[in-house]
Formats: sequence, structure tokens, C-alpha cells
Amino acid sequence: MIQLLTPAALTAGLASGDTDQILHAAEGISAYGWLLVALPMLGAAVLLLGGRRTNSWGPLFAVAMSSGAFVVALGILVQMLGYDDASRRRMVHLFSWVPAGQFQLDAGLQLDQLSLSFVLLVTFVGSLIHVYSLGYMEHDPDKRRFFGYLNLFVAAMLLLVLADSYLLLYVGWEGVGLASYLLIGFWNHNPAYATAANKAFVANRVGDFGLGLAIMLMFATFGRVDFAGVAGGVSGASQGVLTAMGLFLLLGACGKSAQFPLQSWLGDAMAGPTPVSALIHAATMVTAGVYLVVRSHWIFEAAPTAQLAVVIVGAITLLFGAIVGCAKDDIKKALAASTMSQIGYMMLAAGLGPVGAVFAIFHLLTHGFFKAGMFLGAGSVMHGMDDQVDMRGFGALNTAMKTTWVTFGLGWLAILGIPPFSGFWSKDKIIEAAFVGEGWRPWVFGFVTMIGAGITAFYMSRLFFMTFHGRKRWPKKAHPHESPSLMTVPMIILSVGSGLLGMALTWLGFAGWLAPVVGEHEEGHPVLAPLTITLLTLAIVLFGVWLAWSRYAARSVPRTAPEGSLLTRAARQDLYQDAVNEGAFMRPGIHVMRALVFTDNQGVDGAARGLAALIGGASSRLRRIQNGYARSYAMTMLIGVVAILGAVWVMQ
Amino acid sequence: MTTVSTVVMADTFTSASISYSALMPMLIVFVVALAEVLVAGFATRESRHALQVGLSLIGLLGALAALLLGARFHQGVTASVADAAGSRQLGAVVVDGPTIFLQAGVLVLALLAVLIMSERLGGIGADAFTPMGAANPGSVQERAAQRAGLTTSEAFPLMMLAVGGMMLFVAAGDLLTLFVGLEVLSLPLYILTGLARRRRLLSQEAALKYFLLGAFSSAFLLFGAALLYGYAGSVYLSEIASAISAGQPDREVLLVPGVLLVLVGLLFKVGAVPFHSWTPDVYQGAPTPVTGFMAACTKLAAFGAMLRVVYVGAAGDRWNWSVVVVVIAALTMIVGAVMSVTQTDVKRLLAYSSIAHAGFILTGVLAFDVTGVSAVMFYLVTYGLTTIAAFGIVYLVRDVQSGSEATHLSQWAGLGRKHPVAAATFAFLMLAFAGIPLTSGFVAKLGAFGAAVGHGGASGAVLAVIGVLSSAITVFVYVRIIVMMYFTEPAENAVEVVSPSILAKVAIGFCAVLTLALGIAPKLLLDWAANASLFLS
Amino acid sequence: MTSGSEAVLFWILAPITVAGALGLLFARKAVYAALGIALAMVNLGVLYLALGAPFLGVVQVVVYTGAVMMLFLFVLMLVGVDSSDSIVETIKGQRVVSLALGLGLVGLLGSVIGQVSVGALPGEPKSVTDNGHINAMADLIFGKYVWVFEVTSALLITAALGAMVLAHRERIGERPTQRAWAARRVRTGEHVAGLPAPGVYARHNAVDTPALLPDGTASELSISRVLAARDQIEAPQGYAEISREMEQEITEGSTR
Repeated sequence: MIQLLTPAALTAGLASGDTDQILHAAEGISAYGWLLVALPMLGAAVLLLGGRRTNSWGPLFAVAMSSGAFVVALGILVQMLGYDDASRRRMVHLFSWVPAGQFQLDAGLQLDQLSLSFVLLVTFVGSLIHVYSLGYMEHDPDKRRFFGYLNLFVAAMLLLVLADSYLLLYVGWEGVGLASYLLIGFWNHNPAYATAANKAFVANRVGDFGLGLAIMLMFATFGRVDFAGVAGGVSGASQGVLTAMGLFLLLGACGKSAQFPLQSWLGDAMAGPTPVSALIHAATMVTAGVYLVVRSHWIFEAAPTAQLAVVIVGAITLLFGAIVGCAKDDIKKALAASTMSQIGYMMLAAGLGPVGAVFAIFHLLTHGFFKAGMFLGAGSVMHGMDDQVDMRGFGALNTAMKTTWVTFGLGWLAILGIPPFSGFWSKDKIIEAAFVGEGWRPWVFGFVTMIGAGITAFYMSRLFFMTFHGRKRWPKKAHPHESPSLMTVPMIILSVGSGLLGMALTWLGFAGWLAPVVGEHEEGHPVLAPLTITLLTLAIVLFGVWLAWSRYAARSVPRTAPEGSLLTRAARQDLYQDAVNEGAFMRPGIHVMRALVFTDNQGVDGAARGLAALIGGASSRLRRIQNGYARSYAMTMLIGVVAILGAVWVMQ
Repeated sequence: MTTVSTVVMADTFTSASISYSALMPMLIVFVVALAEVLVAGFATRESRHALQVGLSLIGLLGALAALLLGARFHQGVTASVADAAGSRQLGAVVVDGPTIFLQAGVLVLALLAVLIMSERLGGIGADAFTPMGAANPGSVQERAAQRAGLTTSEAFPLMMLAVGGMMLFVAAGDLLTLFVGLEVLSLPLYILTGLARRRRLLSQEAALKYFLLGAFSSAFLLFGAALLYGYAGSVYLSEIASAISAGQPDREVLLVPGVLLVLVGLLFKVGAVPFHSWTPDVYQGAPTPVTGFMAACTKLAAFGAMLRVVYVGAAGDRWNWSVVVVVIAALTMIVGAVMSVTQTDVKRLLAYSSIAHAGFILTGVLAFDVTGVSAVMFYLVTYGLTTIAAFGIVYLVRDVQSGSEATHLSQWAGLGRKHPVAAATFAFLMLAFAGIPLTSGFVAKLGAFGAAVGHGGASGAVLAVIGVLSSAITVFVYVRIIVMMYFTEPAENAVEVVSPSILAKVAIGFCAVLTLALGIAPKLLLDWAANASLFLS
Repeated sequence: MTSGSEAVLFWILAPITVAGALGLLFARKAVYAALGIALAMVNLGVLYLALGAPFLGVVQVVVYTGAVMMLFLFVLMLVGVDSSDSIVETIKGQRVVSLALGLGLVGLLGSVIGQVSVGALPGEPKSVTDNGHINAMADLIFGKYVWVFEVTSALLITAALGAMVLAHRERIGERPTQRAWAARRVRTGEHVAGLPAPGVYARHNAVDTPALLPDGTASELSISRVLAARDQIEAPQGYAEISREMEQEITEGSTR
């Protein structure tokens, strides 16, 4: 049932909202918050429209624009720290967008603790990756276009997190999709890469469809789609509507964040340039789903079923990604699986409500640093090994690439959750939060996260040892060498973050800073003592590391992959996700698809393929009526008229 | 004898009061059309094209100026007589807010269409039209006509006549004027459809189909008008409305069939299911610039007329007939969206997309509220702009060998690499069709669905949901084109985007820029549409 | 039905009208179809007269039957009276379904109109009785509906323009003079003396009968291409036979 709220009920909802619903206009430097989006957008415009004239200085300009946004963000941070909790949320009104009748929609930015955390992450990591790309893409003839896309991505991502309404968020959402599509397919002279871009785009469409439906539902229910309006209206809406809304939002989040069941595109997206993987498919864009869920916490808190779905999706994905990660020999694909799994952690935490949401964002930040660092490390390894990605051809690179080894090692320790490195502070808290609750849930989710941590430890150690330790298995022509400083400096900075960010943020009280936005959480009581959880987790993690060491560092690794157990083979095939998709959705409609996709048969994927087959089947059937004979068309018209008159006759 | 009859006549003859200022835009268009007929007959072959294009542009701009500077200040009924009681004027032409807005829309869109239609691509006449309509396709005579530099410059007066008909159509205050307006706009389009330069058999077949089916639907409209006359004893929409509110117990049964049959005629023109089957064939067969003109302007005019019939004439009895139109709207959206999935020809694909859009617009019409009127009017103008540009680009994508339009989707593969500007513009237009935010298509859909949800009651909400789902299906289709252009290996037979003259470039660019601008800052046009959304009854 | 005689007239004319209309639909030859519709039009004209609308009745006969239908017939004669459409229906069920739908439409509309009690309509022009029909019509055309009437001219112009565009073949280049033809014949050396004339036989000569070549076969060149295409060629052999017989008789007669 769709329940329409009267304006009176809306006002009441707003009035009953707590104090943090009061909106303050931005002042001082915050009033220039639009610069955050405008600067990289300007960069993209100049580079993409400027043509060859900007070839020489374009990349540097892009770096400047991205860093400029970071400086503005820092300024806003300083100003925000000066406010008290209640007045930290600032609105920047941009313009009146759609003034259609009763439906007024303004385009505006919302600066609060949550969005600013994201802005800092995106601009900081983004700027570092811009710098890194200066080195990585040095010899690419088309690097101006690459930097243009990068800036476009940063602008869209910032718009996504700064938007004050779901609609503007949707614009950014589509924007990052577009930019990532362009970046994955950057080397689109290679058909395989183009296919990957295709797959990512289509999987994302399914997710966007969910988000679109959610927004429509909000509009139908609340008559508004800005955050404040939706938050105010939640109390007056029915449970069913909120659950549907939550599930649609979750579908959107799954598409963008590569969560089960829309996870299949992330691995293929690794075909893009490595800095892209680091920025988009590790640190920022793929976390947008988590942002969406946390941002919409009012809806999820009011719809426990949807919330539970979020947790389940997170749990499945974190195990799925971890298992897949154990079998991948492609260093980037293994990292991609790990990303999927880590976002599963965040998603799970976000679904736990205020208890976990803070740590979801916390983990998102630390993960942004260490995963981006590891991706850049992987890029550096590939740079030194002639773009080879098969880890079975690496080994003992610690001798040849000292800096890469050390920075990657810090990232590795962080993702493992070894104290005092970053990952420990965030992941341990998530595991702890998963153990909070009553009934079966804390036990199931708690142990899932704990076991996940163990598997993570195994496959990340496997990756690390296979790449940097053991015996040399280099191809004959390879001469591994350290990357230029343009590449290593960003890696070093990120590795410092991997090492210290967690501790620093914990010490500075990040949880308290974020709490006003995501909801105050009462101190939860895990079903096990926190210390027990920590120690148990650490034990499992260390076991995983030991297992990896014994198998991949102490023993020699064969150059070609052994056949392996059933599970290994399954994991190598991404747990047969494509096969399942194919069997469940694709085969029934395959004959229809043949007609439908005459040349772009690689473009459609999974669930989308099944849906398309359904629609395509209906379409082919309908097409038979369209036979080209005027008399037959006249007959359809006559059928229409007779049906209309008949209906009227019956009604009267 | 004669004196007697004169005296008697003087007693009874009442001449209609006519405001020439209000009719001036239409008069200008018709007069220019006549002048162009003379040009087609008497001007030298070399000067014809320039004269026709120049006259058309002057005529359309002049009409626009007359509309905005003159007619706008003479709102009211015109060509009118007093009713039986002498209490009010009944006008054949009603100049009110929606009329002004929609007539301006027709004129602007037609102006852009003329710019694209006039594209010569280096030839002596418009490239879209056959040198000689009477020559058999592929015959020696056709080639001779081609060599001799013959042109079908009659296309321009035909188009002007159609524009005049459209302007009358949206202003028609009675069913007779409505019918004449419909015929005046349709007849030239039937002829224009059959004048394509290439693939002429397809074009002639399309013209014949369009004509036959159009005549069929006109007959229904006329029958409906007869029933309504039988019901109300008048063809004036305002009198029909009064008759409905007064109630006609002994003739009640005539009303609903009458309204619905009139609507059948109008629904045919907008391409609503099940009266849509002509659309793909005609869109595909017609010369592409004509298709653009037709898709944009006919849709606008027909929906304008429908708004007036529904809101001024038949709204009082809507509970009895609107459910039928709701079903038609739902079917239109679903069939249009679903059918577009399996299309492999760009023009047919856009035809089905236009059917789906007709459904979206119908959703707004069925809101029965002023917000519905303004949303529909906004939708029509933005859709028209996007669609003219889209067909304009389709027109320019040519097969290198034959020089004919490469409309098969597979030929568009890899277009983005070779012709980035054209492909990017087309991709953007597709996103606008899909209704992605920051394009005008988004704001238009939002307005139409918003009006339906806000004022259309339960059926409005259901239609909005169906609309959203159908848009999702169409998104898939549009994205497929984008995927085709950017991420597929180019097809073997080479395709190029021919470079048009500055006029066509300006037209396409203008449409694309407005599509973006109306997505970012639609306020101005929305406000205008909202201010112009009250019908004079 | 105001009077008995009118009713009698109606029941005689109405079936004929319907029969004429059905003739239009079902006649295989275009001429019959045209005559069928002319019949229906004339009958309608008579009905108008009977209803007390003499002007309309006369206009109906003059314009529709006299002008429009005769134009139709002219065109048909020019195109060829023999051309008949293919009547094989290729779409399965098309006819049955159309018939059913047509009957359905008739039934539905009939039931709607049948429910209405016919009385004086409020908008009936009162001037009909006061002023005569022509004045009443003029009143409407030049009064109430003057704008629509004027706009209708656009329709006529469109129709004329359409006819020109779709049917008029502009001559390309100069029409060759007789002199030019002769010069060309001599230059190419083909048919220097012109094409052979149709056959002239003792008891028969006509354009549809080819001439005979010396070897006794018919000459294709001696007859019009159009006739050949329409398959309207007479076989010349019979006439040639007669000619020979006559020749023989004459020869025999002279010797006898």
C-alpha cells in the first residue's frame, strides 16, 4: 500500500524529529562547498573539451584540481571542528531545480560529518592516485583523456556523497558509473577490456534500477526526496512501504558495491588501468553502496526486515569474496575478491544499525587507504614485471622492489587486522558488533565475520608470500625494478595511513564524531566478552597466516596451477557465478537472446540477462502482430475500437 | 424577389466575429505556404531551394513573432458567434494559454525541423527528398531526374500547410474545426512520407499505409463527433461540457461512445496502443527529417488537441470513460517499451520509443489537473526537441558505399571511435529519452508521473508505477545503443557521419543544448507552462 | 417516418443503397465497384430530396455521382478496365475476424444509437424553414463556420500539390523533334524506314493485329507494347489464311 502523507503530517514529522534535523545554512568556507564538485568538474571539462592543446599541461592541471578540492575539504573540516555537534550539518543551496507544482526540488549540498569523511577520503586518496598515475601512465599516448576521466570521476563521486537529496545523489551515482565505465574501458582497443566495461555497466544498471525505484517510492510516499524530508516522513509511513524502500535501496547498493548477487562484474572490471582499480574499485566508488545504506539509516532502522537483508547480503558476500580470493592467481583479481569481501564486512556492519554503522564507515576509511595502497603496490609490481599479473610468475620480489614490498606489507598487516595496524581498529570492532544482539543472529554473524577474518588472512598472506617471498619464478625476460618515485611516494603515504590511520582515528574519537549523523549507539553487549573475541579472531588470523606460509612460502609454488580440490576449482571459476547465472536465467531464453543480441551478445549479464530474455520473448511474440500488412493493422485498430465500445457497453 | 430575400437574410445572417490579431500566426503560415506553392511553380530550378527554405524560415519566425507579440494579448475565442441564449461567444478557434504555448512549441520545433530538412549535402535540393516523386523507384527516369537536378521543393509548402493544420488543431474550439485541423495536418504528412530519396518503395508503402489507416481513424473521429453532436446538439466543446453538466437523460448513451471514438482518432495520431501499428512502418519509411518533424510536432499537436477535448469538453463525465484511457495508457507504455527491445533498426526503435513516450504523456493527461496540463506541455516540448535532434543525427549517419542512411543497429557499432561528437550527442539524447537526471527527459517524466500520482488517484499511481517500470525497460534499450556505439568492434561495411551544413549543425546543437539546459534549469519553461495551463472554456 | 409514402420510398431505396455499397466492397472489377458506389450515391440523393432537402439532394447527385464518380470512371478507363485486384487472402483468419469485428462494431453502435429516442435536436438550424436551404447553408458556411470553411481550402491545395508531386512527371530535357528522330534513325541504321505498320489483311486491319514477316511469323515490332503487355493481341494467322484463300479465289477467277 502506498500511503500519501499530507503536508501537515510532514511538518509534524519534522517537528518531532530530534535536534540534529535542524538545518543550518553554510557560512564561511563551507558556503564555498560547491567548489569541491566544481574544481574537478572544471578539470574534466578543460581536459576533455580542450583537445590536444592541453596535452602537455593537462595531467598536472588535473592533479591540481583534485588537490584543490582536498584543500577546500580540509578548510571545511577545520571550520566544522569549531562547531558543536548539533550545528555541524550545513546546507549549501545551489539552485532551485524542479519547481513543478507542489513538488519542489532544490539542488543543494549537505556538509556533515559523514559526507566530509567521504570527501576527505576521496580527495586525498584521489589526489595521491592522480600523482601515481602521472608515473604509471607516463607513456600512454592518451593520458590526457585518462586524467579527464579521473577528474570526472572525482567530481561525480563528490557529488554523490555531498548531495542533499536522493535525486542529486542519483545524479552522482550515475556519474560515477559513467566515469568508471569510461575508465575500465579506457583501453577499449582491447575487446576483452571493452567487454568488462560492458559487464560492469550492465550489472550497475540493475542496481541503478533498484535505486530509481526506491526514489520513486519515496516520492510517492513522502512527496519529497531530500534527506531531511525523507527522514522526517519515515515515522508516518507504513512498515511495508519502508521495507520495500529498504530492499530497493539495498539492490542499488549491491549493484554499485559488487555485493551478492550482483558481484560478478568487479573481477572483470580489473581489466582497467591499475590506478583506476585502486581509486574506483577499492577506495571509493564501490563503497558508495555502504554510504547509501548508512545515509538511509532512518529507513533501515524502521524496517528491520530490510536491515536483516543487508546483514545477510554482507555476510554472504564476505565469505564469497574470501573463498574466491583463495584460488585466484591473478594478483588484481585476488585483490578484487578481497575488496568484495571487505565491503561485505562494511555492509554487514551497516546493517547492524547504529552499533555497526560507525564502524562500517571507519572500516571504509581504513580500507580505502590500505586497499588503495595494495592496489598501487600491485600496479608497481606489474610495472616492474612487464604488466604480468599471474602471481605464479612472481616470487621473491622483496629483493628487487624494496619500497613496494614494505608498503604492500603494511597494507597486508592492516587487512589482516594485526594490532596496531589500521585494519585491526576497524575490523575488530565490526566483528565485535556482529556479536551484539539476541537469539541466533549474533552467533551466526559473529562467527561468519570471524571465520571470514581467518580466510582473509589466508588468501592475503598467500598473495603476499607468492608475490614477494619464496623462490623466484620470474619469466626469462623479466627484469623487476623499483618504480619511479612519482609512483612510490603515493604508496608510501598510503602505507603510513595503513599503519596509523586506525589508531589515530580511534584516539581522536572518530566514533563520537560520526555518531550524530548515523545515530547514537548505546553500548552494545556482545554475547562473548570483547577480549575473547579479539583474541579468538587473532588466533584464527594467525592460523590463516601460518597455513599460507607453510603452503606458499616454505614450499615451492608450481609455475602452473595444480588442478586442486573441488572447492579450489569452484573458487577459480568465481564459485560458478557465471554458470549459475547462465543456468538459472540465461538458458531458458537463449533462443530469444540470439535474435535480441545480434552482435553485442557479451553485453548482458546474469539477472539482467534473464529479465531481458523474458522481455525479449514477449517482444518477439508481439512482433508477429506487426506483420507489415495495412489490413492487419486496420484490424488491430478495429479490435481496439470494438474492445473499447464493448467495455463501455458492459459497464453501462 | 431579390430584395425580399436580401432583407430576410439581413435579419438572420450573423457573421462570425473574427480577431485577426489572434489568427495572425496561422494566417501567416498559410499565406507563406501559398507563396511557396507559387515558388514551386514559377521560380527557376536553381533558386527554388533557397527561396523555399528562406520563405519557410521567415514564415515560421514571423508567425512566432505574431504569436508572442500579437496573439498573446488577444486571448479569447475567435471566429465566434453568440450561442442560442446570446450569453456567451462560441469560438471555432480558442486562443488561450495552452494554445499560445503549444502553437509556439509547434513553430519552434518546425523551425528546427526545417533547418534539418533543408540539408543539401552538396546537392542542388534537399537531400532527404526524391528528385521526382512520380518516377518509378530505380527507373531510368529517376536517374535522369537526379542528373537533371530536379528537386521536390514542394516538400516545404507541404510542411508549412501541416504546421498550419497543427496550429489550428491545438486551438480548435469545436469538433468540426478539430476534424478539419486534423485533416489539414495529416494530408501533407501522408505525401511527405512518400517522398524519401532512398529506399523509395519502403517510403511509398509507408505513405500508403499511413494514408489508409489515417483515413480509417479519421472516420472514427468523425463518427464520435456525430455522436457527440447527437448528444449535445452542438459541436462546440464548451457547449458539450454544459450539456454534460446539465445532463441529457434521453440521450445519455451517446456520450461515452462519442467521447471515446473522438479520442480514438486522436490516440491514433499520437501512436497509442492499439492504434500504434502504423508508427514503426511510417517512421522507418518516411524521409528521416520528416520523421523527426512528425514525431515531434504531430505528437505535440495531437496531445494539445486531446488536452482540450478532454479537459474542456469531456472532463465532466470522466468517471465513465477515463478507465478505458487508463488501460490504453498502460498498454501503450508496456507495448512500446517491450517492443523496442527487439528492434534492430534505429528508426523503428525510436518509433517504439515514441510509442512508449506517448504512454508516459497520456499518464500526465489523465491527471485531470492543471499540473497535468503543464506537465504534458513541458513533456511535449522537451520530447520534441530531443527527438528532432535524434532523428537529425540518424539522418547524418550514412553508409559509405551507397550513401543511404545506415539505420541498422549493427552498422552503428564502433561509431563512438570514429565520430566522437555525433556519437556523444546521440548517446546524450538517448539518456534524455531514458529520463536520466540532468536531462530534460528526467524533469518531464518527473512532472508527468508526479501529476499522475498527485492528482490521478489510484489509477494515476498505478500508471506511474507502470511508467517507471517501462522506463526501466527502455533504459536498457537506449543503453544498448550506447554500448553498440562505444564498446563494440566496428562493423565491416564502413559507416560515416556526413558533415552537414551549418544550419543543420545549429539545429541539432540547439536541441541537444536545450535538452541539457532544461534538465539542469527547467524553471523558466516549467513556469511558463504552469502559467499557460488554464483552458478557456 | 412522417408519412406512409416516405416510408415506402425509404424501404425501397435503402436496400438498393446498401446493395450498391456492398457492390463497392465485393465487386472484382473496378468499374462495377465504381458503378456500385454511384448507385448508392444517387439513392442517397433521392433520400435527401424525400427528407425535404432539395439542395443537398441535388448537390449529392451532381457532385458525387456526376463529378467524383465520373472522374473515377475516367481514371479507371485510362488505367485499363481489365485490371482487377488479387483477391487471395494470405493472412490466416483475416477475413473471418474482420467480418466478426465489423459485425460487432455495427452491433455495438447500433445498440447505442438504437437506445436514443429521436426528437428535435436543440441545435437544429431554425433558418431552414424560414429562409430556404441555400440561405441556411450559406449562413453556416459564411457565418458560424467561416474559418473552418476557409481552412478547408488548405486541404484542396494540399490535394492538388500532392497529385502534382506524386503523379506529374516533369519532362527532362527537350522533346525530340521529328527531324531529330529521323536523324537518329539514319545515324543508328536501325529501322531506317520506321517501325513496321500493323498487319493489313484482306478482310481485317487493326492495331492489335501484327503484320507478318516474309517467313510467315508475326512481327512484334508492328504492334504497341502496351497491347502486348495487356495480352490483347489478335493472332494474325487466321486473317492471313483468309487473305490467301481470297487471293487464290481471285487468281482462280482470273484463270477460270
